[in-house]
Amino acid sequence: MKANPRDVKTGVYYIDGDVASGYGALAAGCKFIGGYPITPSTEAAEAFARIAPSAGAMFIQMEDELGSIASVLGASWAGVKSMTITSGPGYSLMMEAIGFGAMLETPFVLLNIQRGGPSTGVPTKTGQADIMQSRWGSHGDYEIIAISPDSPQEMFDYTIKAFNLAEKYRCPVMIMSDECVGHMTEKVVIPKAEEIEIEPRRFYKGPKDEYLPFKPDKDLVPRMVKAGDGYKLYITGLVHDERGYPITNQKSKIKNQKLPTRRLVDKIRLNKDKIIELKEEGTKDAEVVVVSYGISSRVAVRGIEMAREKGIKVGSLRLVTVWPFPDEKIAELSSAIKAFVVPEINYGQIVFEVERCSHGEANVILVPHGGAGVHNPDDISNAIEYAAKEKKRIEGVIEYKTRLEKLVFEEGYKLRE
Amino acid sequence: MIENKRSNPIITAVAKGIKKSGIKPLKISIPSDIPFEPEVVNHLGVDFFHTMRGRPIAFGTGLKLGNPKLKVVSFIGDLMTLGGNHFVHAGRRNMELLVICVNNFVYGKIGGRTHGFAPTFSPYSTFEEPFNVPHLANSCGAIYTARWTALHTDELANSIAEALGKQGFSVIEVLSPGPNYYTSIKEIESNLMNFYYENSVIKNHEDPRNVGITPEEKIVVGKFTDKERPTFIDSYNAQLGKVLGDKFKPYK
Repeated sequence: MKANPRDVKTGVYYIDGDVASGYGALAAGCKFIGGYPITPSTEAAEAFARIAPSAGAMFIQMEDELGSIASVLGASWAGVKSMTITSGPGYSLMMEAIGFGAMLETPFVLLNIQRGGPSTGVPTKTGQADIMQSRWGSHGDYEIIAISPDSPQEMFDYTIKAFNLAEKYRCPVMIMSDECVGHMTEKVVIPKAEEIEIEPRRFYKGPKDEYLPFKPDKDLVPRMVKAGDGYKLYITGLVHDERGYPITNQKSKIKNQKLPTRRLVDKIRLNKDKIIELKEEGTKDAEVVVVSYGISSRVAVRGIEMAREKGIKVGSLRLVTVWPFPDEKIAELSSAIKAFVVPEINYGQIVFEVERCSHGEANVILVPHGGAGVHNPDDISNAIEYAAKEKKRIEGVIEYKTRLEKLVFEEGYKLRE
Repeated sequence: MIENKRSNPIITAVAKGIKKSGIKPLKISIPSDIPFEPEVVNHLGVDFFHTMRGRPIAFGTGLKLGNPKLKVVSFIGDLMTLGGNHFVHAGRRNMELLVICVNNFVYGKIGGRTHGFAPTFSPYSTFEEPFNVPHLANSCGAIYTARWTALHTDELANSIAEALGKQGFSVIEVLSPGPNYYTSIKEIESNLMNFYYENSVIKNHEDPRNVGITPEEKIVVGKFTDKERPTFIDSYNAQLGKVLGDKFKPYK
């Protein structure tokens, strides 16, 4: 389906990532945002609130993040595409509802403009330390999809993609951006409506009496209906069968039914190949591959360039979708190369996934950063150089001491002595 | 006292109220924080959402704004504890919701612990002041407040029908026994219903400030307030229409 021309503000803009995401949401057909202001994500909500009324969409500033995400889930069941926007502490408050949304198979998008953490952290500066929280934050077993854009243009494009994935797989989709991309002002080209492909909600169209809200199609995703259409919906966060009725164990009373929570993870895991998007460059004959996502991938470009100037064969693997994780791709690369270098703005999160998938066949080097800024490309290029020179196979994750880290630690230890 | 002793008086009253209001059940959505029996929902013919603890009002806000044609009736037990903030703000906005707050003085399902509006019933009794729900609702901006017990099913049904016909944030508090674990059905029939009969007094249009529940005094029930105020959607349309002029089409 093509986007509605009323929702698309076609043109060439000079805007920041947050605003681009707000425009992207409207273009994707989002009709409801419930949000609560929090730096550095507020501009996205503000941009949407400015343009939404003329497109028949609604923005409401709720009383807190608990309320905003609950309202987004409600709106989604009322039949409209919906989204919420947050950062840092607000994201932590939303955790319960994310599991609830996954359990109810509610399509919604959550834009998290990550900031420095933990706790209040550094509200005005960047960080990438929520990436594991996005996957494991709520209790119980579930799967989500997380996308990590690295420029304002991508914020627009991937917000639309996020909505499409949410509708397709009926699951929470998170845009795990960061302050740096959110507040980066660049040229953004918004194409014409007919060039934007959007996924409409997959409504059930069969006979009313036969409808089962959680009976999956072939791709393991059930069809949805909306409240008020007379389907006598019974929707609960308890473990439920295909009718939506609570059951107390994983065995359903209905015959031949898949285990309810099993399907929640399977619908993402088995459709992984269709969901995952990677950007690969120069990995064919590389000896070192830089695995990165979000703003770190943008900085890594320069680090890779510098390493190439030194004559090192280095490739780049950018995770556009961080979750589900591309296990097979990493495993395939690891047998052909010497080492992975993983720059991320935290003290090691995705690097452990890379280590897990490399099965000990390649060294895995973390280039950490404490947040409130981005890497120095020198550090990435030095880490690449070190990775290329190291002949031994070292088990576990090797933490590369950046110049800043060395300074902080060595000076710190000296002071203590 | 009650025609069918085994039926749930509140659900019966809801069914009667919906019928009386003339609203099609399929247009009614019920977000709640405690699950109903699926059969009940099937008989009522409504859409039912068992949401997270304390969040039905926020969830209902989303339902209402996602599709303003829906009538949203929120059933809540954890109204003043987990969901207190949502309650206060929904009242302030005059979000078009009917909140039915079922107050059984305890967390009945988990063995009778003390609660945000419980006057008694914890192992050593409670020493905290309970909330006066109708007064709080009224001061937050609710347009309709009432309180009934599980004994007053007809009055409750009338109140529900009346509140469903109104545009805005309406609150009905229902005092009802919490049967699971806390006490047996037999005990409810013989003692608790009798307790309501002997200890409640109907005072319609009473100032909500005077209707707090205390162990010493009789429980005041009745319809307390009924007023008019523009709803959230009305105010939204008015304000945006003023600022944006012809570019804005009213949200409905």
